[in-house]
Amino acid sequence: MKTPQEKLRFALVAGLLLLGSAAAPLAIAAWTSARAERAYAERIATTAAEYLATVTSPARGGGGSADYDLASLLVRARALSALPGWSPAVEVYHGTAPFIAATAPPLTPDAFADLQRDGAVRWDGATALAPLRDRNDGDVVGAVRIAPRRASRGALAGLALPALLAVLWLGGWAISGLVRARARVRLAPYAVATVVLGIAAAANVRGAAADATDRWLADAQLVVEDAATRGPAQPVDVAARTLQRLVRGAELVPADSADAAPRREHLGRRIRATSMVRLGPNRWLELRTDPGEEGTTAWVALAVALALCGPAGVSLAAWIARADARRRRETLTAWGFLAPATVHLAIFSLAPAVFLVYLALHRWTPGESGAPFVGLDNFQSVLGDPLTWQALGNTLVYVLHVPVAMAVALVIALALHRHRSALRVVRALLLLPYAASTVAVALAWRGLFRTDGGFINATLAHLGVAPVDWLGDPRNALLAVLIVAVWMQIGYQVTLFLVGLDAIPAAYGDAARVDGANGWQRFWRVTFPLLRPVTIFAGVTGVVLAAQVFTLIYVLTGGGPARATEMIATRIYQTAWGDGRFGEAGALALLLWVFLFAATWTELRLLLRRERHA
Amino acid sequence: MASVSLRHVTKLFDAGGRPVLHDLSLDVGDGELLVLLGPSGSGKTTALRCIAGLEPPTSGEIHIGERDVTQLPPADRDVAMVFQPAALYPHLRVRENIAFPLTLGRTPRAQITRKVIDIADRLGLTAELDRRPTQLSEGQRQRVALARAAVREPRVFLLDEPLAHLDGTARLELRAELSRLHQALGATMIYVTHDEVEAMTLGQRIAVLQDGHVRQLGTPVEVYERPADAFVARFVGAPGMNVLAGVATHKRRGTHVECGSLTIPVPLREYDGEIQVGVRPEHVLLCGIDDGVGAVEVRMVESHGAETLVHLDAGGLPLAARVPGFPHVAPGEKIGVAIEAERLHFFDAAGVRLA
Repeated sequence: MKTPQEKLRFALVAGLLLLGSAAAPLAIAAWTSARAERAYAERIATTAAEYLATVTSPARGGGGSADYDLASLLVRARALSALPGWSPAVEVYHGTAPFIAATAPPLTPDAFADLQRDGAVRWDGATALAPLRDRNDGDVVGAVRIAPRRASRGALAGLALPALLAVLWLGGWAISGLVRARARVRLAPYAVATVVLGIAAAANVRGAAADATDRWLADAQLVVEDAATRGPAQPVDVAARTLQRLVRGAELVPADSADAAPRREHLGRRIRATSMVRLGPNRWLELRTDPGEEGTTAWVALAVALALCGPAGVSLAAWIARADARRRRETLTAWGFLAPATVHLAIFSLAPAVFLVYLALHRWTPGESGAPFVGLDNFQSVLGDPLTWQALGNTLVYVLHVPVAMAVALVIALALHRHRSALRVVRALLLLPYAASTVAVALAWRGLFRTDGGFINATLAHLGVAPVDWLGDPRNALLAVLIVAVWMQIGYQVTLFLVGLDAIPAAYGDAARVDGANGWQRFWRVTFPLLRPVTIFAGVTGVVLAAQVFTLIYVLTGGGPARATEMIATRIYQTAWGDGRFGEAGALALLLWVFLFAATWTELRLLLRRERHA
Repeated sequence: MASVSLRHVTKLFDAGGRPVLHDLSLDVGDGELLVLLGPSGSGKTTALRCIAGLEPPTSGEIHIGERDVTQLPPADRDVAMVFQPAALYPHLRVRENIAFPLTLGRTPRAQITRKVIDIADRLGLTAELDRRPTQLSEGQRQRVALARAAVREPRVFLLDEPLAHLDGTARLELRAELSRLHQALGATMIYVTHDEVEAMTLGQRIAVLQDGHVRQLGTPVEVYERPADAFVARFVGAPGMNVLAGVATHKRRGTHVECGSLTIPVPLREYDGEIQVGVRPEHVLLCGIDDGVGAVEVRMVESHGAETLVHLDAGGLPLAARVPGFPHVAPGEKIGVAIEAERLHFFDAAGVRLA
C-alpha cells in the first residue's frame, strides 16, 4: 500500500468487511428472534382457536348444530383477551366480522377464502390468522388473529451492544493502523471482540427462542386451565385427553403438583420445556413441548462464523495489499497445491473430530429429534461404567503385544541382516500378513483356532495336549487375540528394523570389532542405540494403532466371550451402534484420544532425547 | 609393540574374480610407521582390513609380533584402527567414545577416567570431552578417533586415510600431531593414504601399491629418487615424474633417445629400441629454442608463487616443468628445454627400471 488510491481502496474493502461482519450476527439474531416470535404467534393463534371451539356453546335451535352460538362466542372471545396474564393482542372473527373490538376492520373476503381453502394458519400482513373451525372440527367458520410482538430480546440486547461498539472501535483502529502502516497493528483484540459479539448475538438467538417457548407455555397454560374449569369435572387422565387438542405439538400428561412457571426438564434423553396446568385442588397436568432454543445450534455457529469473517477478511486484505505480486502468486500457487489435501483433511479428519466433540457434549441418538447439551454427563457415565475400565484393562494388555512383537522382530531382523541372500524372498513373505486384509487374517485364524478340527488343536493333539478352547474360553481368548496380533505385526516390524540396520554405516560395527567388542556388546552398545529412531517409530506407531484395535477383535471374537476381549474401540462401537448412545461413545472416543495423546507424548519425551546421527 | 608381517596374502571378494590383493608380502618393523600409498582401488584399504581382522585373507598368513593372527578375530589382535569417516558413535559423548574400548573389558573405572583425561590432554581434546560427535569439526572428530585408538595402547595402529576429509590447516596440524604421537608411543603404525605428500612427510618407509601388488617398498627418499618403475615414478610427486616414451639409437658418438620433438643424449651404452625416459619436472629447464635438447610449445602456465608449473608440448608428448619464480613465457610460445643427463631415469617399454 503505497499510493493514496491503494490505501483508499484497502480502507474501503476493510471497512465494508468490518461493518458487514459486525452486522451479520446481529442480522441473524434479529431474524431468528422474529422467526421465533412468528412461530409463537402461529402456535398461540391455533391454541386460541381450539380453545374457542372447545368452550363456545353450540348454536341454539337446530339440534346438534355444527355452528357456534354467536353470543357465547362473543363472550368467550372477549373473556379470552381479558384472561389475567394473557399476553398477545388477539382478535376473533366469525365469518369476516370482528368480535372483540367491534370497530376493528373486518377480515378481508380474500383472506377468509384462503383460510377456508387451506384450513391452516396463514399470514395476513404482519399478523397470524388461525382458522376457527366449527364444532365438528369441519368447516372453517371464522378466524383468530394474533399480532406478534416485537421480539422481547432484540438483537442488541445484553452484551451485544457493548460488543458491537468494541468491534467497531477495535476494528477501525486496526484498519487505520494498517492504512497508515503503523509498526504495531493488533488484529487480535478486534478478533476477540468479534467473537464476543458473535457469542452475544448467539445468546440472543437462543434467548429469543427460549422466551417464545416460555410465553407459549404460559399462555397455553392459561387457556387450558380456563377450558378445564368450563367443562364438566373429569378425572385427570380423561381431562388430559380432552384438552390435548388445544395444544397440538405438545403433550399433556397427568402430574403431581409443582412450580407452575415454565422451565426445562430432562426427560429420558431429551430436554423438554414444561409448565404445570392446575385443574383443581391436587389435580395437575404437565404441559410439555420441545424447547425452541434447542434447534438454534446451527444459527449460533453461523453467527460466530460470520463474525469471524471480519478479522479474517481484513487480515487477508492487508496481506494482499501489502505483498508484492510475486509473493501473492507463489502463495496462491502453494495453496493451490495444498488445497486438495486441506479439503480432504478438513472433510475426513477435522470435521469428524469437531463433530466428535459436539457428540461428546450432547445426548444424541439417531432418529430422535433434538440433541440436548448435557455438559460432561457423558464423560461421567462413561467413567462410571465398569465396562469402560474392563475394556481399558484389556486394551492395555493388548498393547503389550507391541514390545513383544518388536523384540521378536528385532531378533529376526538381526538374523536376516547377516544372511543377506535369504533376504529378498523372506522379506516379501514376512510382509504378507501385514499387507493382507485384517478381516481375511482374522477369519483364517478363526479356522485355525477351531475347537473341533482346527489346525492348532489338531497339532496339539498330536503332541498329546488336550484341545484348548481358544476363542470360546474367556481365559484364553485374549491370549489368542494377542497371538494373531503379534503374527500380523511382526513382518512389518522386521522390515522396519532391516531398513534401520541397513542405514547404520558398517564403519561403526567395524570400529567396535577392532576396539574389542564381542557380538553382544556390539549389539547393545552400538547397534541398538543407533536403531533408536526406528525403535521409536515402530513403538509409537505400534502402540497408537494397537490402542485403537477394532477390526481384528470385531471379526475374531466380537469382544467376547464374556467381554474378555472387549477393547476401547469395540466398546465405542457397541455404545454407539449397539446401545444408540452416541454421546457417550463420543465421550469415550475423546477419552481414548486424550489417553493416546498423553501416551505418545510421554513415549516420545522418553525416547527422543538423543536421536541425531553423527 | 610388535612387528607386522604379511606373507603371500591374496584376497578375492568373489571366488574366481580379480584378486584385490595379489600374493602380497610385506614386513613392518617394530615401532615403524609404514605408509601404504596407492590410487583408489589399489588394495591398500583391503590390506589394512586384513591386518585388522575385518576381512579374512583368501590365502596367506598375517603375523603380528610372534603370533600368527590369520584366524583370530579383531578383538584378539590388539590392534587399533582409525577409519576414514571417523566412525565415532553418535549416541556417545566424546568422553564415552574415547573410553569405549576400555569399557568393553575389565579396566577399573578410575583407571579409565585417568587414561581418557591423559590422552585427551595429549591430543588437545580436554575442552571437547562432554560434547557430542555432531558438535565437532571434522578435524576434532579425527582427533577423537585417534584418541579412541590410542587409549588402549595397542601394539599396532592402523590408520585408513584419517586426513582425507580435512581441509588444509587442520590437515597440516593433525599430520604433525600424528608424527609426534608415533614418536611418543613408539607404536607400530600402518598408514593408508592416496596422498603422496602425506606419505613422504609421515612415512619412515612407503609401500606403493597398484592393483594388489607392491610396486616398491622403500624410504621416501628411495621412492622419490629411485622409483622402481614407471608407475611409481608417475604416482609419486606433484605433479609426478615426466615419463616420455621414445626410441633409443646407439651411434658412435653415444646413445640418443628420440621422443617427440626432443632428442635427448643419454648415458646408456649399447641400448637400441623402445625406452621410457623419466625426468622430474624440477629438472626440466627452460632455455632458448636452440640451446636445449629440442623445441617445445608452451601449453599452460600455472603460477604457485614460489614456483611456476609450465606445461609443455614436446611434439605430442606432454612435459611438465617446475621453475622458480615467474618465468616470462606465454601459452603458444615456442621455447627450448634443457635436461641434465644425470637427472634422467630410464625404464624399459614395460615400465621396469633400467639400472
